Amino acid sequence: MTQSVQSPIMGHTLRRVMFFLLVLLTTLVAMGLMVSVFQTDGISLMELILLLLYAILFSWICVSFWTAFMGFFVILTGRDRWAISRQSAPSAAPAAPLPRTAILMPIYNEDSERVFAGLRAIHRSLADTGRLSDFDFFVLSDTRDPEVWVEEELRWQDMVRALDGKGRIFYRNRPENISRKSGNLEDFCTRWGGHYRYMIVLDADSIMKGETLVAMVRIMERHPRVALVQTPPVPINRVSLFARILQFAGSLYGRMFTAGLNYWQLGESNYWGHNAILRVQPFLDHCGLPKLPGREPFGGDILSHDFVEAALLRRAGWEVWLAYDLEGSYEEIPPTLIDYAKRDRRWCQGNLQHLRLALSQGFNALSRLHFSMGVMSYLASPLWLLFLIATGVDAYFQTQQEQVYFFGQNWIPVWPVSFAVEMTTVLLVTLTMLFLPKILALVLLLKDSRLRRAYGGMLNATLSVVLETVFSVLTAPVLMLFQTKFVLAILMRRAVGWPSQQRGDHETGFREAALTHGMQTLIGVVAGVLSYHYVPAFFWWFIPVLLGLMLAIPVSMLSSSIALGRMSREWGLFLTPEETDPPAVLRYLEANLKEDEPVLPVLREASGSRFVQALTDPYVNALHLSLLPEREPPGKRRRHYLEGLIHQLEEEGPDSLSAAQKRDLIADPETLLRLHALFWSRSPVEVLSG
Amino acid sequence: MDRGKVSVAAPYLPAPVAVPSSELLLDRLGAYWQALGVSDPDQVTALSEQALRRLPELPETPGVDPVGRAVVAAGDLLDDWLARALQLPRPSLALAAARAALLSGAAPDWPATLFAPPGEANALRDALRAAIAEPAPIPSPGAMPAQRIDLFSLLGPLLRLWRPEPRA
Repeated sequence: MTQSVQSPIMGHTLRRVMFFLLVLLTTLVAMGLMVSVFQTDGISLMELILLLLYAILFSWICVSFWTAFMGFFVILTGRDRWAISRQSAPSAAPAAPLPRTAILMPIYNEDSERVFAGLRAIHRSLADTGRLSDFDFFVLSDTRDPEVWVEEELRWQDMVRALDGKGRIFYRNRPENISRKSGNLEDFCTRWGGHYRYMIVLDADSIMKGETLVAMVRIMERHPRVALVQTPPVPINRVSLFARILQFAGSLYGRMFTAGLNYWQLGESNYWGHNAILRVQPFLDHCGLPKLPGREPFGGDILSHDFVEAALLRRAGWEVWLAYDLEGSYEEIPPTLIDYAKRDRRWCQGNLQHLRLALSQGFNALSRLHFSMGVMSYLASPLWLLFLIATGVDAYFQTQQEQVYFFGQNWIPVWPVSFAVEMTTVLLVTLTMLFLPKILALVLLLKDSRLRRAYGGMLNATLSVVLETVFSVLTAPVLMLFQTKFVLAILMRRAVGWPSQQRGDHETGFREAALTHGMQTLIGVVAGVLSYHYVPAFFWWFIPVLLGLMLAIPVSMLSSSIALGRMSREWGLFLTPEETDPPAVLRYLEANLKEDEPVLPVLREASGSRFVQALTDPYVNALHLSLLPEREPPGKRRRHYLEGLIHQLEEEGPDSLSAAQKRDLIADPETLLRLHALFWSRSPVEVLSG
Repeated sequence: MDRGKVSVAAPYLPAPVAVPSSELLLDRLGAYWQALGVSDPDQVTALSEQALRRLPELPETPGVDPVGRAVVAAGDLLDDWLARALQLPRPSLALAAARAALLSGAAPDWPATLFAPPGEANALRDALRAAIAEPAPIPSPGAMPAQRIDLFSLLGPLLRLWRPEPRA
């Protein structure tokens, strides 16, 4: 089925024209200012480079700024008749039965306890709505680590038993994780997708309210032209100072940005990979991802598949919406600056791959813009770095023109015209970019007393915004260097892999901080010395960047502190509505993690190794065997390989085997049974009986 | 080099016993049945003897010593009973799922039922059927064809001029 490409609402076009005109005009005005400064004595090559960089970076900032401004306007007036959640449909019947919907949680070597605690919270929240029977749960595991694999199976079985979820809560582990997450979802769609009209895709740390899930299905039912509705996930639950600052920023400013995005993107919005509902049939018909020609990092599997899937749906004429006003959609964020950078490293490669797609044939203009925005979110860092270097070099050459900055005892410098205006403009732009959306977010709090209280009151919220701003100024140069490094590594065709995330709270020690930020600190010191020595006037303008780099190690360590995170909460700083008054689903999650007693005795007992348990414990062994996919018996070479591993295990024990080798052993039913018998015949009985 | 001084680390698992005594076999089987949840010593002995009786009929398993084969025979005995009670094919993943359900504690009195007359196993059968959770629904296959994405190429327009695509 292919839908009409354009939505029939005239206002959609008007909004976009207005948005892009504002971006264009603001950029032109700023560029005009710069050109007039440079033109005083002709434009040199260096100035031309500066102009080009400035044009790219400023337009990128304008997109962000005007998006926030439009979001501010929408929330302030409370009017947005084209928000997908508010559009009426004459055929809609509020109490109509819901079609079957699959809730999918793709996981990869995650903390199983947290994954299943989250799923159980969602399950309970759905049960509260009375609509639980309309939803099935799928844990789609791509886990490779054998310890985590066996743990997941036990947790799944425990959840089924505890919640009477037989026939509604499913689990499968893929033998090969071909095409990573997109392949994982494709596997679901091609095997069981036919049972469901909709699927709601979660991430391992996603939490969603039952009401929100039901509302998403209802929206899809009301709008048959819509293939995908994305909800804005609000960051929650982390306790380190770093994460609490990010949670506060994401919560307070995020709603303005998402409202703004929806304002001009409307039915041509984007997909962020999770906390979204998709219509299964169009996804099957149009979202099979090809391998890109060439080798990694630009060829091969499409890594950031979500943007591409949204673009493919749009290409086929389906609408993709961002339901910015649907609350009850949450995710967890990395707890430290280093973890945040690691996540960036994984996303960076996928987003840069979109360079090749932005100009591909057949995609809609807005899809191309989404691709470009994805690329720019990482390319902006090296461009900023280039801009800073070029500005410094330009300033140095200007100092060589023997200009006089100080006259007599006057301590106020008299800048050369082009240098002063140039730097002032850059500073003003940075300040506007940093501060205005934050101030607008505070203005919105003034309007809503309930929300104001949820953020800890106006005074605390304002103080939090000021501190958050200082923190983001300090960390921005660090992230700039991180992202520049990632971009360069990828451009030099060094693949970055797809490591699993460390999601739980933990702190950064000195050694880790020094190893990670040592070079950045050194760069900060060297740049500081050079600029102070050769371009002393430039040095003072450069201070915020230098300070961020030179303080990278202590800032990274201190911000990872859980004690400081808790202290800031006690002081009423960086509070979010989810902290002040947690919704039921988050309380369920907390209760599940703290108090929940597993039904299965094997989960209540401490276990050294789930892998060994899969070999020795008759129950774990039988459960694992029952969950293995049916496949052809191994060939001769494979049998020899497994035989070798069995001998290694007999002689040197499980610690001598790699995770992949352990996985190979317990992935083969015959080997599993043989090892079970082998352990029971030869291990000391006391060991086997626990 | 004095080879007598070279020490070899003890293997992780002790060497197999080529000809185990009947005491060793019964001891091992007893421990295994207990791990499966059979606590009555009389039942343990009876089940161990049944398992030992099946040993000669059991096909050779390469790399498994006689004690290991006795353990396999015990499992085989249990699977036989489960397959009959639940009418499941052997071998099958469903049978492994039934064994997992049995051992998960879903039917705590199962050893007693094993020795009860066939008609008295209905309650256990129902409890087991209720406890077997299918890991996935029955398949409903669908095709997801890979979409064509024509990447941008500077030479693309020239190549199209040189080799125009055939008309549909």
